[in-house]
Amino acid sequence: MKRNRLISILNNRGIIEAISLSLTIILWELVSNFIVRNPGKLPSPYSILLAFCDIWEIIPLDIGISLLHFGIGIGAGAAMGIIVGMLMGWFRIVDRIMDPMVEILRPIPPLAWVPFAILWGGLTHYAAGFIVFIGAFFPILINTYTGFREVDKTYIDAARVLGCREEWKLIKFIALPFSLPSIATGIRIGMGVGWMCVVAAELFGVSKSGLGYRLFQVFWPLHMIDKLILYMIILGLVALLLDRLFRYFVEEKLFKWKRGIVIAK
Amino acid sequence: MKKYVSVLLTLILISGIITVCGASEIKTLRIGYQPSTHQIAEMTAMEKGWWTRDLAKFGVENITDTEFSSGPPEMTAMMAGELDVAYVGTAPPITAIDKGLDAKIVASVNTNGSALVLSPGLAANYTSPADLKGLKIATFPPGSIQDTILKKWLKDNGLDPGRDVHIIGAGPGEAITEIMTGVVDGVFLPAPSPTIIEMADAGKTVVYSGEMFPNHACCCLLVSGRLIREHPELVKQIIRTHINATRYNNEHKEEAAEIYARKVRGTDVEKVKESIKRWDGAWVYDPHIEINSTLVYAKVDYEMGYTNKLLTEEDLFDTSLYDEVMGIAPAPGTVSPTPQPTSQPTPGFTSLLVIAALLVYIVLRRFKI
Repeated sequence: MKRNRLISILNNRGIIEAISLSLTIILWELVSNFIVRNPGKLPSPYSILLAFCDIWEIIPLDIGISLLHFGIGIGAGAAMGIIVGMLMGWFRIVDRIMDPMVEILRPIPPLAWVPFAILWGGLTHYAAGFIVFIGAFFPILINTYTGFREVDKTYIDAARVLGCREEWKLIKFIALPFSLPSIATGIRIGMGVGWMCVVAAELFGVSKSGLGYRLFQVFWPLHMIDKLILYMIILGLVALLLDRLFRYFVEEKLFKWKRGIVIAK
Repeated sequence: MKKYVSVLLTLILISGIITVCGASEIKTLRIGYQPSTHQIAEMTAMEKGWWTRDLAKFGVENITDTEFSSGPPEMTAMMAGELDVAYVGTAPPITAIDKGLDAKIVASVNTNGSALVLSPGLAANYTSPADLKGLKIATFPPGSIQDTILKKWLKDNGLDPGRDVHIIGAGPGEAITEIMTGVVDGVFLPAPSPTIIEMADAGKTVVYSGEMFPNHACCCLLVSGRLIREHPELVKQIIRTHINATRYNNEHKEEAAEIYARKVRGTDVEKVKESIKRWDGAWVYDPHIEINSTLVYAKVDYEMGYTNKLLTEEDLFDTSLYDEVMGIAPAPGTVSPTPQPTSQPTPGFTSLLVIAALLVYIVLRRFKI
């Protein structure tokens, strides 16, 4: 009976997740205090909590500036990625023209673009946004392209039969709605990569605030490892929040027509 | 289960013994330095083989030196146990020692020697520090000498370093590129960078660091606490070799410039020679002359929140070995030699990984996975 009750409690949403997180924090505290015993290498969760109490006032500003850089990059990345992906996916000639350049530029890591961004954009928010754009653009482009390439031909034929013959109308009323789930997936991946690029973007002091700026320009040179790890955790939490918000508004609301026709709940 | 527990305990014991008893002999001496004419003493001693010759009798078979773009990353490496000796500004050790680095300054290396360079247009109109308001200035990262002196000087002149001037942390190469391409309005860097920029017509020096803070401490010789406690004679010889190299450079400045140009690849020797003529710095070795200004840096760092406590002379310096080398009798109430650190050495990540692997194995066997 007791065992069944325990299993029933554990099956409740969030219980196992909470236990897992708690055990991780406890284990971390024990390892840092009794095994590593060097806060310069591995600060304890408690010291990170104290670090938060010490600098909580600057955290909202840093998150805000990083979100600004992120917003610039994602906005430009989504706009250009969807347009270019759409054109490449629909018009074969555009695909043949753009494909070599895309395949050469795509593997270049965003960090390698930083000197270029600073030389051309200066130490401005736009230079930081450009690095995020580089990270986000290609996943959105590829997923948009794939979505367009996989449009069911039956829908195109049916649309033509019903009088929709112009290319732009076929794109607008058939291909684009059909590709939206793929585009949304690309945007979600692009958001993840783009957020990871925020730190690289802020590495070289393009702004006086920002999570990446504070991490590399302040905490690391000054050996404030507890604050450094605190900001790493904040980076992860903000990314989680952005992802959850995106999924709520896009998958729960925009794509609620998929419920019942796909296996995802 | 008992068998696994006993194996685990044995492994922990072995790891502990290996760590505590670990090799106390120094076969390889690891030196850190930066690409600045401030630290040519290290380069001279290395190129002429003086480190190898002088330290061989202490069992040191191999000497390595590693270049760092500035002091803060050099201190990170020393905190990670990768360096035994560092040629570094006196400011970076302040934040590192505050965060637990076991090391002491045993000799000085140079005083002054940095300069604020503005782009030509701005330099022509420069009249006072107030003209720097709204500008972007690249300098070494927070915690470095240059960052500390620049911020102190700006504050002394009524400017808020956080609001009125955009100070960007960078290495010398990046900072030079940034002023040459107009990304920043100015740089505050140690020699030979200011001269390199001037000779490329990309900027003009407006203020020398010696004007900002007369006779300020710049680079020093920082040695790990373990080396000082366990091998004091070795450290005394390091100090002697450093003194000899410093005296040699003072007497052979042109050759010192050539040694620098060979060490730091891609540097134009003529620019280095010109830099040594133009700078306001001096190559020195007496640690006593750096104590007062270093304590000022410690106060500035504490007030800016870079350190948790206000560090003292005892925390930062150990001049006893230098005094012994120079035959100076200790003054009353002198700092006692470097004490043992209060924390014990850590078992290290290798032991941690072994223990973690064994725990995973025990769990897997226990639940028959």
